[in-house]
Amino acid sequence: MRRSFARRVAGGVLASSAALVLGGCGQSPITPARIEPALEATFANLVELQVSRLRLPPIAAPDFAVTAICRKQLAGANAGAGDWTCSLVWQGPNRQTVRDTYDLFVATDGCYTATVTGESLGGPILKASDGSDVRNLLYTFEGCFDTM
Amino acid sequence: MTLRGVCAVIGVEWSKLGAQLKTRLVLAACAAGPFVFAVAMRVQSNVPADTLFGRSMTESGLAVPLVVLGFAALWVFPLVASVVGGDLFSAEDRYGTWATLLTRSRTRAELFAGKVLIALGFSLLAVLVLASSSLAAGLLVIGGQPLIDLSGVLRPPDQAVARVTLAWASVLPSAVGFTALAVLASVATRSSAAGIGLPVVIALTMQLYALVDGPEAIRRSLITSGFGAWHGLLAEPSYYGPIADGAIVSGLYLAVCLAIAYRMLQHRDIGG
Repeated sequence: MRRSFARRVAGGVLASSAALVLGGCGQSPITPARIEPALEATFANLVELQVSRLRLPPIAAPDFAVTAICRKQLAGANAGAGDWTCSLVWQGPNRQTVRDTYDLFVATDGCYTATVTGESLGGPILKASDGSDVRNLLYTFEGCFDTM
Repeated sequence: MTLRGVCAVIGVEWSKLGAQLKTRLVLAACAAGPFVFAVAMRVQSNVPADTLFGRSMTESGLAVPLVVLGFAALWVFPLVASVVGGDLFSAEDRYGTWATLLTRSRTRAELFAGKVLIALGFSLLAVLVLASSSLAAGLLVIGGQPLIDLSGVLRPPDQAVARVTLAWASVLPSAVGFTALAVLASVATRSSAAGIGLPVVIALTMQLYALVDGPEAIRRSLITSGFGAWHGLLAEPSYYGPIADGAIVSGLYLAVCLAIAYRMLQHRDIGG
């Protein structure tokens, strides 16, 4: 009786382990299809917040119509953790089309740090319309996406 | 094995733990550490920019418990999870007290269950103290301003506090898993140094693996992955898969480690 219970427990443990391992096999889940929507949404939310902090007229995040195209910096498979470059095209507060490029470091758990290349979005600190210093939320920011 | 017997073991072990300087020091460090960290952040301009929420620390005190959570995942959780579990069994070997213990009217099963429950209880208590202290330090030293989450959404303070609390709760299964690992190391090696040190070394090795872009299946089967599963709680829309995954993995570690440790203890030849 005890042996049969032990076998059942061992069988359950093996089956659960196998399901977990097999469920996670295959190509890396870190792909442009996951990075791009996450980056677009986070960037749009941060622009909305930045506009508000700079005391400019409010604009809703979807109005920025952000589109991202990401590719891995190393040649080879366009998937996996590491360094990525993402080009963002969006509608600025004056309805002009803006293009920015970000360098991303994406960790294996789907969390990334994005740093803008060039000075198009200003430095780490910006001046608000009332003269106060404001952290530039778009200079470097972090985000995470689901890898499962 | 009776409940009364297990409770008697828990009572004795709890009083022994309360008298130990080591356990008091760990709890004191968990309580005071976040305040020291928050004050240090308050009085100087540099922030831990390479950590999630590090840049937000000067803007919202609610970032403090999340930064502490990120740091603690590296080695603090494995250490506090094993400081008691890794010593409870091997201490009896060190002092040669197994024979004395087993001549009392307590079975090996009762001793094992009581000691394991004490080890798990201490781990959970230490994480709870660190969590409460981190949240209190952030709120009292820096303030309860709204927090920008990992999707760029500004969370009002009450919502951010709820998410921070859930984030800390999500690491409990992994802490429990590490305690089971420490219990196994303590029983198998009969050495407190190995019982406490091995889980920390294993945790660091797992963390190193997580830096490598290896097979996802292996990363997901590491107990340390559960320490970072809270990221999904601070994203919009939130995702909970990694938390469920971490809980299953921790449950497996718990079951396997305790089963092996129990079997080893049952079959050990303890002479008077």
